[in-house]
Amino acid sequence: MTTLDDAPPPVLPAKPGVSTFAVGGALIAAALTIVTARSVGFSLSEIITNFTRKNSPAEGLLHPDWGQIWSRRSRTAFIETLQLAVIGTAIGATSALPLALWSTTFGNPNRWLRMLVRSCNNVIRSIPDLLWALLFVTAVGIGALSGLLALFFFSLAVTTKLTSDTLDGIDMGPIEAANASGASLTQMLRTAVVPQILPSYTSFVLYNFELNLRASAVLGLVGAGGIGQRIEFFRGAGRWEELWGLVFMFFLVVFIVERISVTLRRRLI
Amino acid sequence: MIRFSNASVTYPNGVSAMKDLDLEIADGEFVVIVGLSGAGKSTLIRAVNGLVPLTSGELNVNGHDVHALNRAGLRDLRSDIGMIFQGFNLVDRTTVLKNVLMGRLHEVPTWRTLIGKYPQADIDIAARALARVEIIEKTYTRASDLSGGQRQRVGIARALAQDPSIILADEPVASLDPPTSHVVMRYLQQICRELGITTIVNLHFLDLATTYADRIIGLRDGVLVFDGPGSECDDTVFESIYGRSLTADDTMTKHGAL
Repeated sequence: MTTLDDAPPPVLPAKPGVSTFAVGGALIAAALTIVTARSVGFSLSEIITNFTRKNSPAEGLLHPDWGQIWSRRSRTAFIETLQLAVIGTAIGATSALPLALWSTTFGNPNRWLRMLVRSCNNVIRSIPDLLWALLFVTAVGIGALSGLLALFFFSLAVTTKLTSDTLDGIDMGPIEAANASGASLTQMLRTAVVPQILPSYTSFVLYNFELNLRASAVLGLVGAGGIGQRIEFFRGAGRWEELWGLVFMFFLVVFIVERISVTLRRRLI
Repeated sequence: MIRFSNASVTYPNGVSAMKDLDLEIADGEFVVIVGLSGAGKSTLIRAVNGLVPLTSGELNVNGHDVHALNRAGLRDLRSDIGMIFQGFNLVDRTTVLKNVLMGRLHEVPTWRTLIGKYPQADIDIAARALARVEIIEKTYTRASDLSGGQRQRVGIARALAQDPSIILADEPVASLDPPTSHVVMRYLQQICRELGITTIVNLHFLDLATTYADRIIGLRDGVLVFDGPGSECDDTVFESIYGRSLTADDTMTKHGAL
């Protein structure tokens, strides 16, 4: 009996050469990095001198004003941030589910309607959260309403995208079964598709909530309400100790919410 | 009654899966369709409920010209035709009951479907369907926790819950072991005889076909090459359907013994 070791090794086919595409891609990436670094005036030494130079923002970081954590106005701003994140996620992610379903071939048999939904989704996704906030601050004025509208569209974009990707990988069998039983399109989607994606979808909604909480800090910078607006106030006034206290509290809240969300999400999938 | 006249199906990729078929199936018949894979068995079955449209010819099901039906008409027709699949096509993440209730969708208002609250009358029908295939104790079990045979029984219950006049079964036992296959075939036969539901089953195991069929239809390359009672079907007939001599793979008993 010959074992695998006894047999003469078979001649392997010629090893394929390194693809020119990969080499070219790497060269282009390297060239782009160098060109852009030079054009924005990137310099490591400047960063170091700027850091070591005596400046008040960095000074403030050493003595954060912990009192900010308990101050009434900061607390109100925080509650507003949480409210924005909750409501924005709730409305945005709920609207995302039908939009994701209607962008699939099985959920929307009409080709033109499907293209319309898809291009809407693409347009919404291509606009970043801060730009939404700017748009709405211009349109409806400074305050929490613009923040809410910005978060709504941001949530819609994120959850639609993630849910659509999940929809690509579902089992088509139940869809055929529902169609064969004479179900309407909506009934088919509800009974054959939604149960399949529900755990992932719920996880996306939670993830979206985390994103919204973080985004709401930035939204305030353009006047769209929440904690960001208070951060921006301290920054403008040069009150760094108070600003850092607030930032630490924000960090703490985001961290706690994220831990809860991650634990919940792990149980879902 | 199901009547194909001069019916043909050509898929967009040029494959011709049904060629000038003339076939009549009377109410309450138990018909088994045999043929090699690619012979057009699935196409024939899916044409009956309009999942695959004819490219030419006519198909009349229970007095309706299937080709002429609009979307709502097609849904009405489909609600009267139960379907059973090779891969069971259950929603694994939900309960057996929810899966069987899918058979009631046509009768249930959409808003009720959306909130998942079905009328008691429909739940009763689902329960009766589950009792008929003797799996009622699994009502609240997730479909993913069932064995293959149990899943197919849920598939049968789902079709039965439609209270159909026709049941189509596309290779219902292809993913099952021999003893379980016989159990499933017996349920199908029983349902046909006791409830008078016209039943069309695709099979590729010849011994299963001759054991259960009242009537066997042989397809080869989309053409009807045999139509007769199961008792008339011997090895020579099958060889003519398959266009080659039979092997152990063609029968379940010999296949199972290997």
